[in-house]
Amino acid sequence: MSKELIRLHDLCMAFDDELVLDHINLYINDSEFLTLLGPSGCGKTTTLRIIGGFTTPTGGDVTFDGVRINDVPPHKRQINTVFQKYALFPHLDVFENVAFGLRIAKIPAPEIEQRVMEMLEVVSLKGFERRRVDQLSGGQQQRVAIARALVNRPKVLLLDEPLGALDLRLRKDMQIELKRIQQQMGITFIYVTHDQEEALTMSDTVVVMDKGRIQQIGTPEDIYNEPKNAFVADFIGESNILNGTMVRDGVVRMYRREFPCVDGGFAPNEPVDVVIRPEDIDIVPVEQGQLVGTVTNVTFKGMQYDIIVDLGGFKWLIQTTDHSPVGAQVGVKIDPDGFHIMKKSEYSGLFGDYSSYSEEYEELADVSALEEEESGDEE
Amino acid sequence: MKNKLSRFAVPYEVWMALFVVAPIVIMVFYAFSSAEGGFTLSNFVKMGDYTEVFLRSFELALIATAICLLIGYPVSYFMSREGASFRRTAMVLIMLPMWMNFLLRTYSWITILDNNGLLNQLFGKIGLIALYNNLTGSELTYFPMMNTQGAVVLGMVYNYLPFMILPIYSVIIKLDHSLLEAARDLGANSATVFRKVILPLSLPGVLSGITMVFVPSVSTFAISQMLGGGTELLLGDLIERQFLGGAYNPQLGAAISLVMMVIVVVCMVVMNRFGEGEEQAVML
Amino acid sequence: MSKRTSNRFGDSLLMGLVFLFLYAPIFILIIFSFNAGTSSSVWRGFSLHWYNELLHNRLILTSVYTTLMVSLLATLIATVAGTFAAIGFYSMRRSRRDTLMTVNNIPMMNADIVTGVSLCLLFVVFFNGWEHFAVWINSVQSAVTLPTRLSLGFGTMLIAHVCFNIPYVILAVGPKLRQMDRNLIDAAQDLGCTWMQAFWKVVIPEIKPGIVSGALTAFTMSVDDFIISYFTAGSSTSTLAMTIYGMTKKRVSPQINAVSTLLFVTVLVLLAIINIRESHQEKRAVRGTVSRPKAFKKPGRAVIILRRVAAGALACVLAVVLIVTGKAANARPVVNVCSWGEYIDEDLIAEFEETTGIAVNYQTVESNEALYSLIEMGGADFDVIVPSDYMIARLIDEGLLAELDYGNIPNYELIDAAYKGLNYDPDNKYTVPYAWGTLGIIYNTTMVDGEITSWDAMFDPQYAGQVLMINNSRDALAAALLDLGYSINTTDETELRAAFGRLREAKDAGVYQAFVMDQVFQKMEGGNAAIAMYYAGDYLTMLENNEDLAFVVPDEGSNWFVDAMCVLKTAQHKQEAEAWINFIASTTSSLANMDYIWYASPNGEALEQYGDYYFELYEEELDEELFAIMAPPVEVLDRCEIYENLPVDTLALYNDLWNQLGI
Repeated sequence: MSKELIRLHDLCMAFDDELVLDHINLYINDSEFLTLLGPSGCGKTTTLRIIGGFTTPTGGDVTFDGVRINDVPPHKRQINTVFQKYALFPHLDVFENVAFGLRIAKIPAPEIEQRVMEMLEVVSLKGFERRRVDQLSGGQQQRVAIARALVNRPKVLLLDEPLGALDLRLRKDMQIELKRIQQQMGITFIYVTHDQEEALTMSDTVVVMDKGRIQQIGTPEDIYNEPKNAFVADFIGESNILNGTMVRDGVVRMYRREFPCVDGGFAPNEPVDVVIRPEDIDIVPVEQGQLVGTVTNVTFKGMQYDIIVDLGGFKWLIQTTDHSPVGAQVGVKIDPDGFHIMKKSEYSGLFGDYSSYSEEYEELADVSALEEEESGDEE
Repeated sequence: MKNKLSRFAVPYEVWMALFVVAPIVIMVFYAFSSAEGGFTLSNFVKMGDYTEVFLRSFELALIATAICLLIGYPVSYFMSREGASFRRTAMVLIMLPMWMNFLLRTYSWITILDNNGLLNQLFGKIGLIALYNNLTGSELTYFPMMNTQGAVVLGMVYNYLPFMILPIYSVIIKLDHSLLEAARDLGANSATVFRKVILPLSLPGVLSGITMVFVPSVSTFAISQMLGGGTELLLGDLIERQFLGGAYNPQLGAAISLVMMVIVVVCMVVMNRFGEGEEQAVML
Repeated sequence: MSKRTSNRFGDSLLMGLVFLFLYAPIFILIIFSFNAGTSSSVWRGFSLHWYNELLHNRLILTSVYTTLMVSLLATLIATVAGTFAAIGFYSMRRSRRDTLMTVNNIPMMNADIVTGVSLCLLFVVFFNGWEHFAVWINSVQSAVTLPTRLSLGFGTMLIAHVCFNIPYVILAVGPKLRQMDRNLIDAAQDLGCTWMQAFWKVVIPEIKPGIVSGALTAFTMSVDDFIISYFTAGSSTSTLAMTIYGMTKKRVSPQINAVSTLLFVTVLVLLAIINIRESHQEKRAVRGTVSRPKAFKKPGRAVIILRRVAAGALACVLAVVLIVTGKAANARPVVNVCSWGEYIDEDLIAEFEETTGIAVNYQTVESNEALYSLIEMGGADFDVIVPSDYMIARLIDEGLLAELDYGNIPNYELIDAAYKGLNYDPDNKYTVPYAWGTLGIIYNTTMVDGEITSWDAMFDPQYAGQVLMINNSRDALAAALLDLGYSINTTDETELRAAFGRLREAKDAGVYQAFVMDQVFQKMEGGNAAIAMYYAGDYLTMLENNEDLAFVVPDEGSNWFVDAMCVLKTAQHKQEAEAWINFIASTTSSLANMDYIWYASPNGEALEQYGDYYFELYEEELDEELFAIMAPPVEVLDRCEIYENLPVDTLALYNDLWNQLGI
């Protein structure tokens, strides 16, 4: 329906022999909200910078409206960017920050005035024109950055982890705000984040990246429900990933038992990765369970309990609204559509075990802290 | 983008090679050559005669640096605790004397310190000299202050004190206030906060101040000639004499400069290692 | 609470004392710029006399001009270069940046004297290389003629200043760059800036505070610098600092106090304005956040106009200063003269310029030895120099002097025969005598009992701490040699060592208050020392300020010296030089000079007419006794010897002994 606007063709990028982007192929449609999602160092920011024109790829092409733009400098592209830490000009006030691009383009002053005020209206910053940018809160700065980019009426807006520095509450509000602005302006947003929830909430299309490669492209639902490999399954939401064998279409074997499932198309007895989302598992009395295990850990999460159940040495995460005490023997039941079967990949066996549950959460926190630091040093 | 910008430094790199590195290379070359041009170590051998000059220069410079530190640190510290407008005024007042030529300022001290100078006149008028004579049984008509090592040290302190205050101040003023609060929160009293937090954190400023006072002090020649009476040479005098003074011997002068440079650089490197403040070590 | 207040009081007291310490000497300088007398320690009433004099003092005005020019240019170059360099540095990899920063810090870590010396050596080496190169180029082609001789001067000094200024700029700009968000450049480009626009519109404004403070520091350092200029400027250009240094050896003219006061007050006012503006801005900014989030718009028209006017006024002041001081530095036929401090009636320079249209670039140097060093190092581009007898002999020996064309110097005839054909220039080929006199002992009759007639006084522990020894190897050793009954021209090592022993012994006994050259004026006039060894003419100058002083040529004899004008072989303006020499040798010039410097002229007519000249000028009789000190009679001169040039070995021994005496 909507036409293709940007295409990345066999894009490669290397810094000092280290391959950062490995043959990226991607097309982006007009008016689409596309998110590049992945852990830090996966190449998502580099991809964005290449589209913005700040970095020249070492291989491959970038086309915009069918024209190759590899060597077009940033100021000649109809693309604007919202930078990670906003990159507002501290020596200019809010108005002048927003007007910057228009002044460079030598737009007549009355028009500048009008467009800037319009845009400040859009981002709900009217009345702040003469504030110095360092007197604004994080959310306000964020909106100035967006206004500054949008006032130039770009065809594409690039956003590099724009919400990373905001607190949770503000982030939620801004997610909605951003989506609204995108729909109101009707332009393409390319959004970079490492936050899967953000990606799922806002995007039309999600591109999951890792190690410089695209792991999966799809709608948020596809990505969540039909992850292509263990990495995607683990990165998007919580997953228990187990080794299994596809006995035949509709039957998967694990724990020396056969379970009915809805997937098919594998060779007979092909070893596979089996993904089971924690919310797809029911805890039932022992006698009704397909499998039996022992509860080793229970955490109250408000909406549900996170329960860790030891099933034959493999620890499962189960999310349920019913409480089970630690040490209890419980039965586990999974509906056929709760199983998602994936081909074996390089990520097999790396994810999906919750045996070190609590530590893992801490680790995650560490990683995100680390990421922030890294992204600061990166450039 | 990065590489494009780093090209900006290329002209300066060339400049540095020409006017920073090359002169030193030439100096080394001179230091190892005789008046006729051959290679020789005699310049360094000859320097043995001047060990005392080296020792004296370093001693006086050390004293001057210590005094500067003792005065400069509290001043910077107090300044940093004052209001913004006071701070700015104080900064200006500390920088301002540099606009009056340092030779002239030093010369003015002669007027003050001389045997018949303003201070001695004042002491005479208020009867301080008579009092001193009564107490000690001496028969002074003035306090000898000029042409002493003390006067030289005073001249050094006077001229280089701002170089101690400025770097220390600029480090203290940037200290994160929450650090002090954190320390207090953890049970430290004011003295401990100062000792355990402020002092270690201001160390880079102190080190750079020490460098900026010590280096010019150890090599000064005008101050010692004007206030010290010229009876006892300092390193700066000795070097100056080899180039523009009576004893024309640039080879020996280069050798002395070289040795002085090496000693100073070694001192500074050791000190910076100890303080781990290399990045900010030299900062105004 | 009470502890708090006492602390406060302590703080204020300390600050007060520090400021008193910093400013006391400055206030004294300023006060004495309004002194009616010449002394810098005795107040003789209020007067603006020195400010008036200042306007006519070419030497000082030129040096102010040079100082401002070199500082401004160096600051400008260093700020631009330093800013670019800093940007370059901060876009590099860390390891490379660290290496470069280390090299960059060398001029700051190094002692000024080492920087100055090493640059001086570099220039000398380069000039030598250039000479060969230029000669070779000129010999292989004739289209362009390259100058073969380069010398230290404004250019080299400028390079040196730029050298030590750049690190300050980098250190000021660096932190601003580090604080700057790198994405700003990307953001600007993203918003349509070309790369250059991004640089000018974003990077520069962003780091502007750093650039300004770097430039300010650089300018301050430049103005304040003395040591590096001293080594790299040669002697044909001098900054204010160098002029002052030349004077501190003699007597700092209150005109210097006056010019420094003016500079100081100017800077004070400028800084005050900046300061007030800043604090206003700050207040405005604070108010802006608290109570008026959107009220104030761009600065009003009035403010903008005011700002422009202020900037314009500043530029005008600067321009006027440069024009006034720069008048002296115009390009005309030039002659470069190098002489001693306070050794000429400056009106003569103006008169010469008026009558001939030749500009005189008059420089001073502090001793024969320093002059020799300058010539030897290629640091000088003098035409006329005025060395003393023994140095002339040395210069002739080494082939550094040009033979004069006496046809261009008709006034040479007027020089008395007694001053021609002396041992340093037996055939009268190179020199025209300038002035002559004797060396002797000056003493304060109120501080010394009885008369002094012997050199013994210079070594007598009785006068411990009261004696000023001359700070010059030849003269100091001469005193000891004479005292021991040896010739002042001896080459006998044992005699010289004995003389050295005499000095050493006296020094160790604390006889000497100081080793001085021209500071002797201030010390003897102010009664700060009792005995000094110095030149007769200078004694007469001192006598004007302190009537208790007496002069004696000791019984053992002394040195009588002749300073003569010569032209260097490398002189670029030989014709003008000879015109200058002829002018100075004339009877009217000689009379004026004699009256001004109190040294006897070798011009026979002038010597005869001086009594009448004096009477006409001051309407009182010339004191015969004083005239006898200025131009001693034959019986005194018979006791005295002229210095001869010594063999190389003896000179080396002199240097060694002299250095050792300082240890």
